[in-house]
Amino acid sequence: MQSCILSKKQEHQFLYRKDPVLFCTLIIIWTCFAVFIFYPLIRLLYAAFFSDGHISIENIKKNFINVYTLKSLINSLLLATAVSICGTFLGYIFALAVNRTKLNPILKSGIGAITILPLISPPFTSSISLTLALGPNGTLLKLLGIPNANIYGFVGTWISETLTYFPVAFMVISAILNTMSASLDDAASSLGAKRGRIFRTITLPLSVPAIGNSILLLFGSSLADFATPLILGGHKFPVLPTQAYLQITGMFDLNGGSSLSFLLIIPALLVFFFQQVLIGDKNYVTVTGKSGAKSKFVPLPKTLQIICVCVASIIILFVLYLYFIILAGSFVKVWGIDNSLTLRNYAYVFANGKKAVSDTLKIAIVSTLLGSVLAVVIGYIIGRKNFPAKGFLDFSALLNYALPGTVVGIAYIAAFNNKPILLTGTMTILVAAYVFRYYATGIRSVIASLQQIDPALEEASLSLGANPVHTFTHITIPLIIPAVLTGMRYLFIHCMTAISATIFLVSARWTLLTTRILESMTELQFPQASAFSIVLIILVFAADALIGLGMKVYTKQFSGNVQKENKK
Amino acid sequence: MSVSLELNNVTKIFSKDSEKFCAVDNINLSVEKGELVTFLGPSGCGKTTTLRMIAGFENPTSGSILISGKDMTNVPVNERAIGFVFQNYALFPHMTIFNNVGYGLKARGEKDADIREKILKALSLVDLNGDENRYPNQLSGGEQQRVALARVIVMEPSLLLMDEPLSNLDAKLRIYMRTEIRRIQQALGITCLYVTHDQSEALTVSDRIVVMSRGKVEQIGTALEIYSNPLSTFVADFIGQANIIPAVVDTALSDNKGNIVCLLPGEKSVKARYYGKNSLKKGDNLFLVVRPENITVEKVGKDLLTGVVKNCIFVGSHVEYDLLFGEKYIVKASIDFKPDLKLYKKNEKVSFSFDENTTLFLDK
Repeated sequence: MQSCILSKKQEHQFLYRKDPVLFCTLIIIWTCFAVFIFYPLIRLLYAAFFSDGHISIENIKKNFINVYTLKSLINSLLLATAVSICGTFLGYIFALAVNRTKLNPILKSGIGAITILPLISPPFTSSISLTLALGPNGTLLKLLGIPNANIYGFVGTWISETLTYFPVAFMVISAILNTMSASLDDAASSLGAKRGRIFRTITLPLSVPAIGNSILLLFGSSLADFATPLILGGHKFPVLPTQAYLQITGMFDLNGGSSLSFLLIIPALLVFFFQQVLIGDKNYVTVTGKSGAKSKFVPLPKTLQIICVCVASIIILFVLYLYFIILAGSFVKVWGIDNSLTLRNYAYVFANGKKAVSDTLKIAIVSTLLGSVLAVVIGYIIGRKNFPAKGFLDFSALLNYALPGTVVGIAYIAAFNNKPILLTGTMTILVAAYVFRYYATGIRSVIASLQQIDPALEEASLSLGANPVHTFTHITIPLIIPAVLTGMRYLFIHCMTAISATIFLVSARWTLLTTRILESMTELQFPQASAFSIVLIILVFAADALIGLGMKVYTKQFSGNVQKENKK
Repeated sequence: MSVSLELNNVTKIFSKDSEKFCAVDNINLSVEKGELVTFLGPSGCGKTTTLRMIAGFENPTSGSILISGKDMTNVPVNERAIGFVFQNYALFPHMTIFNNVGYGLKARGEKDADIREKILKALSLVDLNGDENRYPNQLSGGEQQRVALARVIVMEPSLLLMDEPLSNLDAKLRIYMRTEIRRIQQALGITCLYVTHDQSEALTVSDRIVVMSRGKVEQIGTALEIYSNPLSTFVADFIGQANIIPAVVDTALSDNKGNIVCLLPGEKSVKARYYGKNSLKKGDNLFLVVRPENITVEKVGKDLLTGVVKNCIFVGSHVEYDLLFGEKYIVKASIDFKPDLKLYKKNEKVSFSFDENTTLFLDK
């Protein structure tokens, strides 16, 4: 037994001799993390607590204990709570409508498709269209005969964020409702339970983990959201991210901004922590392939069905209306005042926005490629290899993703504005910010996909004489391509639509579409902002469709075979 | 004959957190060239771990592994020139059969023309000509199994390792494939180690069997040796069926056959062989081991053991009896069919006796 402990220690000591490839990879990864994750964070904390090289109580008092900061903190938490509860409620209703009602299947997949819209739209979409619909001179308000309502402040932000984030809740809850065993419903009905009782005693209790997870996700997203409160919050409703932004860009006060972002870090990390705990307890649903005759879920009671379908329809109509408005808005001269059609907004976009389009695409493509490579490597070593401090590597990799974009943006300017690492104004700083934030989905999907691939396949390759690198490139990579493409998809969409970290890092040399939208909004050029948004939406959809197509073509070969086999 | 594989004091301890589990405990084995040796045992006995250590997927905690005389204990898998057939075949789903079989040759960097020729030869050896361009999931389980075999033998490995290769096939195919594997192994003269928990598979394919239990080797020998002379009650019980009844030594006879006389529960005495190492004295506890087919059942007679029929099943080729003996022991007997066979009814009292030459005493 003693010798066993010893040999284990030796294994660790001689990692570089046992697996030199892994050892070098780890060194490269840790170096990247040190530069782009830890160093900025340390600089941020330093800026929050120190001034002129020592901790100053004065500074802390000034930055933390003032009315404005406290108000922002309370507003942030209030908003996040409201959005997470409402969004989860809406998401649950949508999930029920799709999974537990007798709707037409085409209609159901339609609902599924429409709910994805807000997720892949640029951050200002719902804010712009809400302003156009419910703001001053809003079309919907005129239609309803309410002339001068004001949606700026809590209400507007709340509505906009709920509409933007409820699809996340829908996806999380829908996945759980879908994978619940229908035989539980069968068992309950065979024991004499009616629909209402089944919903109360089976469906609802089993979806509690999904509800919890969804509330956490939405809380975190709302807390980190920067774009919506910037447009719709206004002076009446300051929240932490916007406040930090104003401190830095308006007052050039890095210490104050850092202090505000520090306040944002704590709840964000708490949410991240609780989520890990929740997911850690989750039992994975295993596909046995022996399902036999698949039974169907028992639908909801009639009245509940009607309520769900009605609510879902109203929301969907509203979302479609908002998208229609932004499309219409891009074709008019001055929204609400001179509604004559014109193409001059697009002419403006093509005349002045070319650079923004090409810069955005360039940065998104570079980030997507680099991010995918990193995601594959990190996902692979976490999923397949054993090495010291593996848990810490996993945590560090996802740290920037867990933190709000505002925090990352401020940390990056705190770190890379001065020597030794001067990156301000370069493409590198934007790419690094995107890569180390948005590769998280890629890492997760690579790990999940590796869990489903039998290690025997890799062992088979090794036993046939192929070395580990050859095995990785010829067996592992081809098998995880779908997961890699999923990761690329998210990376690309996020790079195209990112704003919260971006806003601190852009420069005259690199302009991005999202910042152009923001500029147009602040100049109150809504039609221009709409036109930019439409261009961005089209670009994102095109890229998304392209990656989706690639995925289909790649997996067709396998699925086609499976079908043939089933026919046999 | 040259030695193809040697295991010296191989031990594997798995430690997870602070718990330790000794999966393989000090195993010694030497396999000659061209031999097919089976590791047989219940699940969790360490047979697969042993095989994986020979392959190089696991490193032994202590001990050494020699392949063709070379120490391979710490050599990585891909440099060992072994072939491994997996329980679930592990065919690469994204490659055609042709590319699956050619994978190792390509990785080795052989010429395309040679590769093609070798692949086709290997596929015809496993009777799969014409399937080169299909994908693994288009094949049946038996066909996938043969592709897995072809993929390995095409590499001409010095050692062929098979980890429960037939356990995913249905019963009929399993019987067909085990003779196929034996045929191919002998045709190529390849040294083979074969892991199974199925005793009939082990008995039919192997030159020698290694019976394992709880990480230890219980017995190594040919199928006949292990069946006729099990060295422990575990082996007796695991290979075929055996009645195991406690016995107490009465007299140790010195008739050169190693016979001794023991008392069974109920104070009846029985004579049988004893091969154990201990020198026995009166009063020692032993086990009597006798296989059902070595028992004769007859009408109640003098000086014979008696039992009560608790169950009687006529199977056609033989009759199976469950006899209650000595208040609490059930003795299973299997009587071959003959035209004048008499069937005893339930609860009927009968006498039974053992064939002296096939009955054994084993240490407790």
